[in-house]
Amino acid sequence: MKTALYEEHENLGAQIVDFCGWQMPLKYEGVIAEHMAVRNNVGIFDVSHMGRVEVEGPQAEEFLNYLSTNIISGKKDFSATYTVWADETGGSVDDVIIFRIDAERFFVVVNAGNRDKDLAHMKQHAANFDVRIRDRFQEEGILAVQGEKAEELVKGIFPGAEDLGFMCFMPVEWGGAQFYLAKAGYTGSPGFELYVPNTVIAQLWNTFLGEGKAYGIQPVGLAARDTLRLEMGFALYGHELSDSIAPNESVASWAVKLKKDKFLGKDALAKKAEASDKRKQYGVLLLDKGVAREGYSVLKDGEVIGTVTSGTQSPCLQQGIAIVLVQASLKAGDQVEIQIRQRLVKAEVVKLPFWKAEK
Amino acid sequence: MKFSESHEWVRVEGDSGTVGVTNHAQNELGEIVYVELPEVGASISTGDAVVVLESTKAAADVYSPVSGTVTAVNDGTQDEPELVNNAAEGNGWLFKIQLNNPGELDSLMDQAQYEGFIKGGR
Repeated sequence: MKTALYEEHENLGAQIVDFCGWQMPLKYEGVIAEHMAVRNNVGIFDVSHMGRVEVEGPQAEEFLNYLSTNIISGKKDFSATYTVWADETGGSVDDVIIFRIDAERFFVVVNAGNRDKDLAHMKQHAANFDVRIRDRFQEEGILAVQGEKAEELVKGIFPGAEDLGFMCFMPVEWGGAQFYLAKAGYTGSPGFELYVPNTVIAQLWNTFLGEGKAYGIQPVGLAARDTLRLEMGFALYGHELSDSIAPNESVASWAVKLKKDKFLGKDALAKKAEASDKRKQYGVLLLDKGVAREGYSVLKDGEVIGTVTSGTQSPCLQQGIAIVLVQASLKAGDQVEIQIRQRLVKAEVVKLPFWKAEK
Repeated sequence: MKFSESHEWVRVEGDSGTVGVTNHAQNELGEIVYVELPEVGASISTGDAVVVLESTKAAADVYSPVSGTVTAVNDGTQDEPELVNNAAEGNGWLFKIQLNNPGELDSLMDQAQYEGFIKGGR
């Protein structure tokens, strides 16, 4: 499958790879260059392989609150909420962002690898609520514009963007199309996401690249998207969350509100929270040379306590960073070891995020 | 210079060889952040994974195109792993090896054959 911007990526010389059945740009100039472009200037991402699903009706709020482990009810209009969806066994279905237009109109942005699964999951549970589900997968794509200078660039094309608070969104009109602009992102640098009809998305992509020259804009691929989110300690479904990793076992546990009234998976998650052998995820900084990778063993005092869920060399810190899933209670400053092929490399538990913007 | 199908090169003087990865290989790998070198004195068979090149995305094994004993390693790559990207076929060399059997070079590709090989898209 290809997004509406596939030809643009080819023209820009991207290295194209398969990602969940999509032909996506892995990188253009280079992972570290693109990563630093976002941290220092501004980068633009095509994330059209993700998807937007409209949820509308008298019970839209109740329905989405039921599906979510975070609180969805009672939020402000034009606000967005990050949440993990759990199933009856307490496994994670996906992590999503839920956008509220008003009490009866919402939309959900879901991960590329889970588009069909999430839609089926929503439709299955929607049978019990007065609600209509309509996906916009064929009609739309998604752009992310992220970085120190993103606001300067975006407000020049979409006046009023500078007034958007974090996790808030607004309707916009451009190129004859109407769509939404959100102050949200997956990089930890300030930025925006736009949910754009395919009729104008290529034009908008090129407008950003043109207007963005003055700000040092670069197109950014999926490899740098991963190093950016990892520097923030954000979960990536399939690594930190999966059908065998519960939301409250993960770095996303802050978004799980167990005290909420009835929601899908509540009983299973409550049991996990009380278990004596429960698992948790932590961020670790490697103290010696090496790159920890998914699946490598994590040891404490000579005993294997878990595995690495994600790891890389942080371009900003120039050190190895990783998220680990362990059966142990650790705190910042604790030392563990990561088995990197033949070597045991020392690593220290740190508070997330690994990287913080300088104020 | 001789080349392997897994994109290593070896430059030979007498029975001493210098080994690295090709420019094509470093371009595919992306920015190298760590280079894990073998021990000097290590005994290597052809095809052994001798060096590991770590990029942000993945770890890649470098296979020795010849058998022999490691006589030197390029310590410069420890502090400057980008040497491998910037000068893969020169200062970004990885290790030197005393060849057990110079005859092994005959089964490697020469420059023209290697260039044809990579154009063929393998």
